[in-house]
Amino acid sequence: MKIRSLSLTDWRSYRSAEVSFGDGLTAVVGDNGQGKTNLIESIAWISGTGSFRGASDDALIRLGADAAVIRSTIEADDGREELVEVEIPRVGRNRILINRQRATRSSELLGVVQVTVFSPDDLELVKGGPSLRRGWIDAALAAHHPRNAALRGEVERVLKQRNALLRSVHGRLDADAEFTLDVWDSKLADAGERLRTARRAMLNEMTPILATAYDAVAQQVAMVECHYESSWSGPLANALLTSRELDIRRGITTVGPHRDEIHVTIAGAPARTHASQGEQRSLALALRLAADGVVRTVGVAEPVLLLDDVFSELDPNRAAALLDALPKGQRILTTAADLPSAARPDQVIRVHNSALTLESP
Amino acid sequence: MSYSTTVQELIDQLGRLPGIGPKSAQRVAFHLLKAPSEDALRLSRAIIDAKERVSFCSRCFNLSEGGDECAICLDSRRETRMVCVVEDSQDIVAIERTQEFRGRYHVLQGAFSPIDGVGVEQLRVKELMSRVADEDIEEIIVATNPNLEGEATAALLVKYLKPMGVRVSRIASGLPVGGDLEYADELTLGRALEGRTVLDTGNDSQP
Ligand SMILES: Nc1ncnc2c1ncn2[C@@H]1O[C@H](COP(=O)(O)OP(=O)(O)OP(=O)(O)O)[C@@H](O)[C@H]1O
Ligand SMILES: [Mg+2]
Ligand SMILES: [Zn+2]
Repeated sequence: MKIRSLSLTDWRSYRSAEVSFGDGLTAVVGDNGQGKTNLIESIAWISGTGSFRGASDDALIRLGADAAVIRSTIEADDGREELVEVEIPRVGRNRILINRQRATRSSELLGVVQVTVFSPDDLELVKGGPSLRRGWIDAALAAHHPRNAALRGEVERVLKQRNALLRSVHGRLDADAEFTLDVWDSKLADAGERLRTARRAMLNEMTPILATAYDAVAQQVAMVECHYESSWSGPLANALLTSRELDIRRGITTVGPHRDEIHVTIAGAPARTHASQGEQRSLALALRLAADGVVRTVGVAEPVLLLDDVFSELDPNRAAALLDALPKGQRILTTAADLPSAARPDQVIRVHNSALTLESP
Repeated sequence: MSYSTTVQELIDQLGRLPGIGPKSAQRVAFHLLKAPSEDALRLSRAIIDAKERVSFCSRCFNLSEGGDECAICLDSRRETRMVCVVEDSQDIVAIERTQEFRGRYHVLQGAFSPIDGVGVEQLRVKELMSRVADEDIEEIIVATNPNLEGEATAALLVKYLKPMGVRVSRIASGLPVGGDLEYADELTLGRALEGRTVLDTGNDSQP
């Protein structure tokens, strides 16, 4: 899909702004603190995934304003034009309209707007804890099919219920509590097995794309591999039973898909602990490219690429290689520094004090 | 600015109602203050009357007006061998509207949800078991909501009722009648496929 026009009212630092986007590469330029990230964050928000900076809705509303509004026209892959309107009020529920029809869940936006975000925080995907990498694969699954988003939601909900129950028994299980634990265990076993199976299949599909993307950015043949390490073997139902005593004592669920890990290695060495800063940066970009690539290959969508400040830590060669490795289609990047010389933007938007002006590229 | 204690008390009391946040509580309070006194009095009387006359049925825990048992339990024309288990009294109203069910009910008064502190003791499960033991019940139809907590409640009831030798069934979840398959959401459609019914087994094709 392509994003055609965007209008912001009281979104972050923007009082009121309007801009349209062409095909191809758009560069959003401006000094630090002018509103570049705020601009692309709004596009990411209307894809239904919330703020990529992890901000709460409240932080998205301009200080002193009552509600933030985003309006956007979208061109779908089949050429249809769609209108997305969201209102985020300080009090009360968010209002989401898709073609003037009220959407009940923000996940419905995912069917209209798909984006792949590259941000400096992605480094955490490589260096941080396992939950970020689980989130990475689960997001790819959700983009692949809404059924997967529901499955992940179900696992999270069952875990919350099971953990609440474990805490409430205070270390002792009477007959009633045992019955009720059995019920949540069977729900968790069922949903947990399905999530793990889906993740493994997705990882198998993504690994070759990841390896290719890394080689392209790093400009070498490096052999990147992934390995899914599960927190249980055999049926999950049995594993839950085995760990029941421990779980009751600790008041949490110690096995399940929420305890699984994804290991990424470069030439056999764990990237998290062995790779250099620059290699980790390149790998973070490759992880995003792989998630983007898998969505494209299964043909569900052509996401818009949003690249926030990704060149600042890459040498000119890698920056050029990254630009080359990006799928064509609509790409919007921000930068406070000069554009890499290899970048030939089709459109340049200058941001100054949260006001937008078009410049000739 | 702050309100007088009388006004603040009204806002606070309204704000304790489910689904009413501080903003709505304020709006309702000012609406009441501006309304003619008869209107406000009628509302307060309705609340007092309801609290005085309405209680929970001693058999099924449905709302019951002016008696020990509710109108449905007292109705001698109703089938007593079938009991439909629901989460709340509102669900009875919905099922009654279909005019498809002629049995009795049992209201659990909630769904199994440890997060909200609702376990077996908070639900009317033991009361249901006593009914199965004492009454001549042949089938329990579980009509809890088709969400995670409703499904868990259904699974829990099966566990408790299994040793009692009573037939337990679950209402099907599926597609809205009169709708288009094309417009059904994925989860509903997926559920409908899971819960499909056989039209023909294909076993008797050779004459
Ligand atoms: N809710 C809000 N209300 C008002 N201003 C806000 C709000 N949220 C963020 N800002 C301001 O928006 C400004 C621009 O932020 P933004 O992150 O878009 O800058 P940027 O152009 O990406 O800068 P950099 O190059 O440093 O990344 C910041 O100075 C910030 O204080
Ligand atoms: Mg920025
Ligand atoms: Zn009754």
